[in-house]
Amino acid sequence: MIRIDDRIKRVDAVSKARGEAEYLSDLRRDGMLYARMVRSTIPRGRIGNIELPVLPEGYYFISAKDIPENGKNSLVMIAGDWRCFAEGDVRYVGETIGLLVGKSRAVLKALDDAIKITYEEEEPCISIDDSIALKGGAILGEDNVHCSLVSEKGEPVDDVLERADRIIEETIETGFQEHVHMETNAAMCTIEDGKYTIYASAQCPFYIRKSICGLLGLTPDDIVVKQTTTGGAFGGKEHFPDVLAGPLLVAESVIKKPIMLVFDREEDMQFSVKRHPSKVVFRTGVDKDGNILTSDIKVYYNVGAYLSSSYVVLQRGVFHANGVYNFPSTRIRGYGMATNTFPSDAFRGFGAPQTLFAIETHMDHIAAQFGIDPVEYKKRYFLRQGDETVTQGHIVEKVVLNEMLEQVAAKSDYYRKAAEYKRGSGRGIGMSFYNHGGAFTGNGEQAIIKAHLRLRKKGDKFTILCGQTEMGQGFMTILRKIVAAVLETDIGNVLYYNPDTSLVPDSGPTAASRSTMIVGRLAEEAATLMKDHLDEDEAEVETEYRHPEGHPWDQSTFKGDAYLGYGWGVCCVEVEVDPLTNEVKVDGIWSSHDIGKAIDELIVHGQVNGGIIQSLGYASMEKMENRNGFFRQTSMSDYVIPTSMDFPRQEWGLVDNPYEWGPFGAKGMGELVFNGADAAYIDALERALDTTITKIPMPVEDIEGVRR
Amino acid sequence: MVEKCYIPSSLEEALKIRRETGARPLAGGSDLMVQYKQGIGITPAFPFPVMIISKLEELRGIRQKDDGSVEIMALATPDEISQCPFMPWHVKNAASRMGAIALRNTATIGGNIGNASPKGDLPQPLILLDAEIVLRNCDEERIMPLDEFILGSKKTALRDDEIIYKIIIPPVSYSYAYYRKIGTRKANAISKLSLSSLITIEEGVITDFRAASGAAGPKVIRSRESENILKGKRIDEVQDVLPSFLDSWNDAISPHAMPQYRRNTTRRMLEHFILTAAGMPENQIIE
Repeated sequence: MIRIDDRIKRVDAVSKARGEAEYLSDLRRDGMLYARMVRSTIPRGRIGNIELPVLPEGYYFISAKDIPENGKNSLVMIAGDWRCFAEGDVRYVGETIGLLVGKSRAVLKALDDAIKITYEEEEPCISIDDSIALKGGAILGEDNVHCSLVSEKGEPVDDVLERADRIIEETIETGFQEHVHMETNAAMCTIEDGKYTIYASAQCPFYIRKSICGLLGLTPDDIVVKQTTTGGAFGGKEHFPDVLAGPLLVAESVIKKPIMLVFDREEDMQFSVKRHPSKVVFRTGVDKDGNILTSDIKVYYNVGAYLSSSYVVLQRGVFHANGVYNFPSTRIRGYGMATNTFPSDAFRGFGAPQTLFAIETHMDHIAAQFGIDPVEYKKRYFLRQGDETVTQGHIVEKVVLNEMLEQVAAKSDYYRKAAEYKRGSGRGIGMSFYNHGGAFTGNGEQAIIKAHLRLRKKGDKFTILCGQTEMGQGFMTILRKIVAAVLETDIGNVLYYNPDTSLVPDSGPTAASRSTMIVGRLAEEAATLMKDHLDEDEAEVETEYRHPEGHPWDQSTFKGDAYLGYGWGVCCVEVEVDPLTNEVKVDGIWSSHDIGKAIDELIVHGQVNGGIIQSLGYASMEKMENRNGFFRQTSMSDYVIPTSMDFPRQEWGLVDNPYEWGPFGAKGMGELVFNGADAAYIDALERALDTTITKIPMPVEDIEGVRR
Repeated sequence: MVEKCYIPSSLEEALKIRRETGARPLAGGSDLMVQYKQGIGITPAFPFPVMIISKLEELRGIRQKDDGSVEIMALATPDEISQCPFMPWHVKNAASRMGAIALRNTATIGGNIGNASPKGDLPQPLILLDAEIVLRNCDEERIMPLDEFILGSKKTALRDDEIIYKIIIPPVSYSYAYYRKIGTRKANAISKLSLSSLITIEEGVITDFRAASGAAGPKVIRSRESENILKGKRIDEVQDVLPSFLDSWNDAISPHAMPQYRRNTTRRMLEHFILTAAGMPENQIIE
């Protein structure tokens, strides 16, 4: 029997550590063929001629021409603008033009090398600034704006700015970030029992069927998607598997043999989605003492060539743009800009990290200008229960930021160190505050997803049926533990397999920090219902998502409660900068998070450590540049992510603040823990160097430019 | 699509194959296998014949000679070099920070030199220590300063029938030593910039001074002309000649990317090392 407070060994740990887990590239089928993507080599232009070499027997070139008449060349993500195959023109380097299929990957490479594609090249538009300036002419509409929205609160911003003593203007920028999931993107398509069947390393099997079925004029139910054990995702496998599965499905419709596509690491680096680069422009009105009267914020995200899910990413960016603060008046305008870069897409945090970094850093700068300790300054504006949000909704839950701040300040000895380490002394300590709205934005859980979960009893075993995926985050353990704890049984009696869309109900995507909070709740409810059937040998119960009362939301105006509840975080980082080389030594990392309640502290600990290190990598070393449409960093030796040597042991804490609608009181936490360490690090670095930093990442060579 | 692959069982056979076919030696493969990989599921393809020499006992080992010089055979791994008790400090230090543990057990000094990357970890301290390289073909042995052997980025003076046999580090003594590698991260990293230096002070006079800059030009930079500015100077004159030395070193290096960072950091490190050494009472390593 298991109790929810036990710390347990992850259910997937042993098979993964032993190398027994079967990943996509381990699959083998009789007569299996391989696929290779033929990609655009220019960022923008018209396709002239595609000259193919003579294809040996059993080799195929699949392209848009193979999409049947009743099919549509469109991958339906949140928008349907991403084409399965480029046709007529290409819009980014690496865009899929065709798929070579055949038995030998060496032959496929040789054929790929021999294909000659001519282009009429056009001037590409790469950065947010390029896009605003309509470089090379508009890519999209007249203004290159893929998507936009405005959130306003309080007295009109322009009126308040007029009477402000000072307007503090600055622009904060963040760069691309690559997911670097351990397993590269991979998928296989075959036909099983007369149905097209996709195997994929993926977060959201139901997204794949919906996205690709229209290519062949089919419905989602005509396609079966089976998730294979997934070696990491971080959002990089939320929509992107569609880009592999789509061409594979079209190829399958022609070839009718199992076809596997596995990205090489360098291919995955150069030709997969990234975190949106951002530019956040502030005009903050303050009075003579530095009190904030209003904030006027423009948020620009580099969306790339296709919208995919970027509108929702931008919404999250806008809704988090005021951080954990309550200003009397705000106006936040968000713009998703079209460029000729590889489309940006989901990445842990989903648009929130960029604006949270920006507001934290902006607040630090205002505090420094008025000679106030940034922590003292930020504390004045902490959101509290009942406060109005930037979307004219309200903070429904109890906010315990002050308690968390004191927890972190005590462990890190913040106040003493902040006073003792003089600005420019080479040592610095910084602190950040952040939150993350749990689950889908607004009423998405109700209006879009409507998650279902089934629990089936056979003998003394209980099988959970839902579409959630394990991707390394620990969800298999979490969900089995919730059910086992409710049923007061051993976790070994609760079964839960990688989802197969033909066998499980759609419980929504494994994304948006919703799995534990929403689907975990469904599992808790299902297990509770199952208690009435324990004397039966076979039984099945199903639960359906119900929206908590008191969360009004209008999706057409983006007004109301943008999220059902928030996770909250405080992170403190202490650094020492080498005066000769600019190398930064991190001497301490302390954090506190309000995640409602930890379903398993070991898993939460792993998520906290990993999220914070990933965020510190984002702030410090993870530099991904795009020149003329090509990513400059193409391998793990030039795009570096932190090792355990870079950041020391962390001290972490949680506060108990149970969330009414989550299982055992739990809220989402997988993304929250990524959302703030970057700003704490930059705050510490700025103090150590007595300088102002307005962009990340900041590797040693860029620190050189801000040294005093 | 390997053109042809040989696996010689003796050095003699290897040299013969080398002369007859021009096959390129492959030892640990940590450069060549990466450079010529073709992607997942495809055998690396070399556009030239190769010979796998990793089994050749004649090319293994590290020895100290009676005169104090150290001979490192071509197949010595960074791990062996970093663990060797009589290895000069600069080289030991560089070897211990190369790549990841797996690489340090696989790569070889011969490969690291033969690859001639300006970011390579071992050539930099070896050139500081005036190391010589011994090359062999079927008929003879050729010895030359390592600094002259490496001609530029990815270019060496290796002849088509030669292989790298060993490295000789002459005996070295110094009053103070300095080594820094600034990597892309703290471990398992490629060098962004590196510097090693040494200084000998006898009776208040600088009798020897050397520096070597890695990742600051097409090859490791030594500048005797710059070093001579400091040699023979009294410690109390260092302040006066330091600016002209630093300017001269700055002219000697030629970093292509991140020039501001590489130039300023090199300057700061040298200045720090020299001034600290000039003000220190005892022999030691300067951090």
